[in-house]
Amino acid sequence: MSIGKLIFNFLIYPGFIFVLLVGGIASFLERKITARIQWRVGPPFLQPFYDLLKLFFVKETVIPEGVNIPFFILVPVIAFSSAVLTSVLITNIFIKSFQGFTADLIVIVYLFTIPSLCVIFAGAVSKNPLSSLGSSREMKLILSYELVFWTSLSIVIIKTGGKITLRDILTFQENSKPIVFSLSGFIAFILSLIVMQAKLGKVPFDISEAEQELIAGPYIEYSGALLGFFKVTHYILLFSLPAFISVLFLGGLNIFKYLLLLIFIIVFENTNPRLKITQAIRFFWFYLFPLGIIGIILAVKGL
Amino acid sequence: MKEKIKERLRERIVKWEEKSKRRFYIQIKKEDLKEVVKILFRDFGFRFCTATGVDNIKNFEVIYHFSDDRTGILYNLRVFTDREKPSLPTITDIIKGAKWIEREIHELFGIGFEGNSDLRRLLLDESWPEGVYPLRKDYEYGRREELPDSLTCSISEGVKEGRTVIPIGPYHPLQEEPEFFELEVFGEKVIGININIGYNHRGIEKLSEGKHWDQVTFLVERICGICSTSHPFAYVLAVEDLLNLEIPERAKYIRSIIGELERIHSHLLWLGLAGHFLGYNTVWMWAWKTREVILDICEQISGNRNHYAMMKIGGVRRDILNSEVDGIKSKLNSIISALNLFKKAVEDDPVIHARTKNVGVLTKEEAINYCVVGPTARPSGISTDIRKIDIKNSAYPLIEFDVPVLNNGDVYDKIVVRVLEMYESVKIINQCLDRLKDLKEGDICEEVREIPPGEGIGRYEAPRGEVFHYVRSDGGNTPTRHKIRAPSYMNVLSNEVSAVGGTVSDAAITLAAVDPCYCCTERIQAVEFNKVKYRWDDLIKLSQEKTKKIRKRLRE
Amino acid sequence: MNKLKILTKSIWVFHFASGPCNNCDIEILDILTPRFDVERFGIKLVGSIKHADCLLITGMLTRKGVVRLKEIYEMAPKPIAVVCFGSCASSQGIFKNSYNRAVPVDEVIPVSAYIPGCPPRPEAIIDGIVKVVKKLRGEI
Repeated sequence: MSIGKLIFNFLIYPGFIFVLLVGGIASFLERKITARIQWRVGPPFLQPFYDLLKLFFVKETVIPEGVNIPFFILVPVIAFSSAVLTSVLITNIFIKSFQGFTADLIVIVYLFTIPSLCVIFAGAVSKNPLSSLGSSREMKLILSYELVFWTSLSIVIIKTGGKITLRDILTFQENSKPIVFSLSGFIAFILSLIVMQAKLGKVPFDISEAEQELIAGPYIEYSGALLGFFKVTHYILLFSLPAFISVLFLGGLNIFKYLLLLIFIIVFENTNPRLKITQAIRFFWFYLFPLGIIGIILAVKGL
Repeated sequence: MKEKIKERLRERIVKWEEKSKRRFYIQIKKEDLKEVVKILFRDFGFRFCTATGVDNIKNFEVIYHFSDDRTGILYNLRVFTDREKPSLPTITDIIKGAKWIEREIHELFGIGFEGNSDLRRLLLDESWPEGVYPLRKDYEYGRREELPDSLTCSISEGVKEGRTVIPIGPYHPLQEEPEFFELEVFGEKVIGININIGYNHRGIEKLSEGKHWDQVTFLVERICGICSTSHPFAYVLAVEDLLNLEIPERAKYIRSIIGELERIHSHLLWLGLAGHFLGYNTVWMWAWKTREVILDICEQISGNRNHYAMMKIGGVRRDILNSEVDGIKSKLNSIISALNLFKKAVEDDPVIHARTKNVGVLTKEEAINYCVVGPTARPSGISTDIRKIDIKNSAYPLIEFDVPVLNNGDVYDKIVVRVLEMYESVKIINQCLDRLKDLKEGDICEEVREIPPGEGIGRYEAPRGEVFHYVRSDGGNTPTRHKIRAPSYMNVLSNEVSAVGGTVSDAAITLAAVDPCYCCTERIQAVEFNKVKYRWDDLIKLSQEKTKKIRKRLRE
Repeated sequence: MNKLKILTKSIWVFHFASGPCNNCDIEILDILTPRFDVERFGIKLVGSIKHADCLLITGMLTRKGVVRLKEIYEMAPKPIAVVCFGSCASSQGIFKNSYNRAVPVDEVIPVSAYIPGCPPRPEAIIDGIVKVVKKLRGEI
């Protein structure tokens, strides 16, 4: 396998550019469908890309007084690069001849946590009471959903008999049936869907950036290209998270499965008001976590 | 009741005037003020409306307005104080709701209140020169104070270290107007709140003194865009009270129609915003979509989507054609299905329940103490509605409607009250439109040539509660004093109790639940995204330095 | 290609109210709602001035507001279009004799466009935005 092909795989297809395009289109779909639910027309097709171009090439980047400048600039860049890395790792498992590093669950889940951590850092470094409150909320939110996420993943590991690389899990599902078609697998799938909503920061879990309470939460002081990096991260996550869930539970990824998950995200977002942080923690720990434990027990029993 | 009061107050009464059947003016000595206020407020259970300061040139006069909500009679205590060293005893220890009123009179008239330690500025900024009182008669109309060159944003002092202050406002997306709430928080819990208004102060009371009686209706319309017919309504009622005038029946119905249309559009607007504040944008869009229908009817009647300019002293400015009545009715009734949808959503949605039930509770005692009005008082079990008791020149005494009252005082009840009120409004408009058909077109206004000397009070139940207007005439072309008290002025202050103790997320919806209308509050008055550039101690330092600077400049 | 052309495809608006009567502010929110829906043009309301491309000012400038306005304008990432919204912001309107007035907006910061009206009708607002867009593109 040539270096050229490797670079092509990483940067163009199914790497960075591809993921960015899909993420952008997903973001457009999200806004468009939201608009239709609300009896509006909605934005034009290229809107997410216009937003990005504007942030990167037209707007000035303002760095507030008194912040730690290297840190302030690094945080969005790290968030962005970890998001790209995750998505590349996920998409590359579909290339049979791919020789590079094949990801396992643990690496990917850690990489998924980094953008959220960056949001915390962003809020903390901004020196603004609203953004620091936002980052403290994000911290609580991570603490509440990560546990549930791991429970849900362990069900998958138990079901596949201890496999942790994505390709193995995929092959397992191709040989038998997708994990979702079993009782414990279904529970794990539901848990993952809710965690996905929280990881994406969508209503009802957009607690950290609650516009009406905290303006934009951790992002409040970011402008221009740095805000652009956060936007791109967001678009990419909008692709890679559903893709990840789809690989784990639905036995692979194709456009229908992806759209199904996306529509779920959008409908969930538009039919619920925002929760309070205390309610969110209670919801994850006292309702979803016990459900996850039941799922694990069922999975061990082989159901 | 009148005899009872006379009996209780006896020799304390200096003069007892009855301007009309429902307006009693009681002149008392200022030494007796506290005693009399206690009797009226505690023993008789009257609601304190507001206090009006008047500059009579030879002396100052302050009128304390008390309302008996069972009969709709207004008892007005009149006290005088000399001009050299004006001061009155404070009543804030008896009535908490008087806090802002005393601060306002202090800064705009320079009248001191003995025993009130909190006489900080309310509406004017810190750079406003000391000793200049804009509502006194020697302050010329149209005068403007120069702004100092360098100004910094300052935040009030008095917060202990180790606590965070969350500024909500003055320019914050929570409210579309500038208002500044500082939430003192410990983690996520709100432990204190400081309400800082004045970003929207426009000096309408003073402006009104420079406008012709008829022009004032347009001015008061611009106090607030959402209650843009309630203020003119109360104002014309006040002038008609002064004139003792009865207007044609057709005008009465038209007044009520436009007033109720405004109530529906205002409640829908609030419902949408409340959804928006809870992060429920779908509710926002749907409610505002329904609201467009009401705005269309308003446009059909008055020619404008907002600012209807329908009120006029002696009647209304425009007629509703009988041929258009049926069209209006069918349009109006088309919103019923949308209202049913909202009602069902509020009743059934578990997340709305979780976010609003037992949140921001205002108990009945506190509600009485803070003198709250309208849909902020009614969920707390206080059944006051000005429409039932004291609106002479309107259709309300002639038709049937109910006033929904609930008992929990939380945000949920505040939502329910407003939704139920919309049904009542639709009922009222339908009845009025039916009666219009039987009346002759064109008979909509009594001619008023001049306004004799005297004083009058008009009240109207605006979407947010009681609007209170007091006017005084010396027989000239303009009012000599025009006092305006909007409902939010009383309601916003109650956040002091209802927002404290909850979390920041609760605070947002609680602050919004009184349907705050700062434009009204400062009549003369909106929230900003406020950036705090400095750390807390730096801010205090800066603020102190600035005070020093200003003092120094003043000495020079 | 003119960089500003991209800006006109995605205008994020920050709304600054200083002593309005509220009606302008309501009408601004109103054009986001189903009947007028300006998201069609990529226009969005944002809460932080750091994200804004357009600063909408409503109401006559009060003494407390003028300081904030200056500060906010300085904080905003450039390029930014400033629009005076409504009669009061454009000319102080009915409040021109108020004791609490500061100075007209255009004496504090540079203004790109005025949308008069009390309040401007939604159609007028959209027309105003189109003109701002044209100006940014250099067509007017």
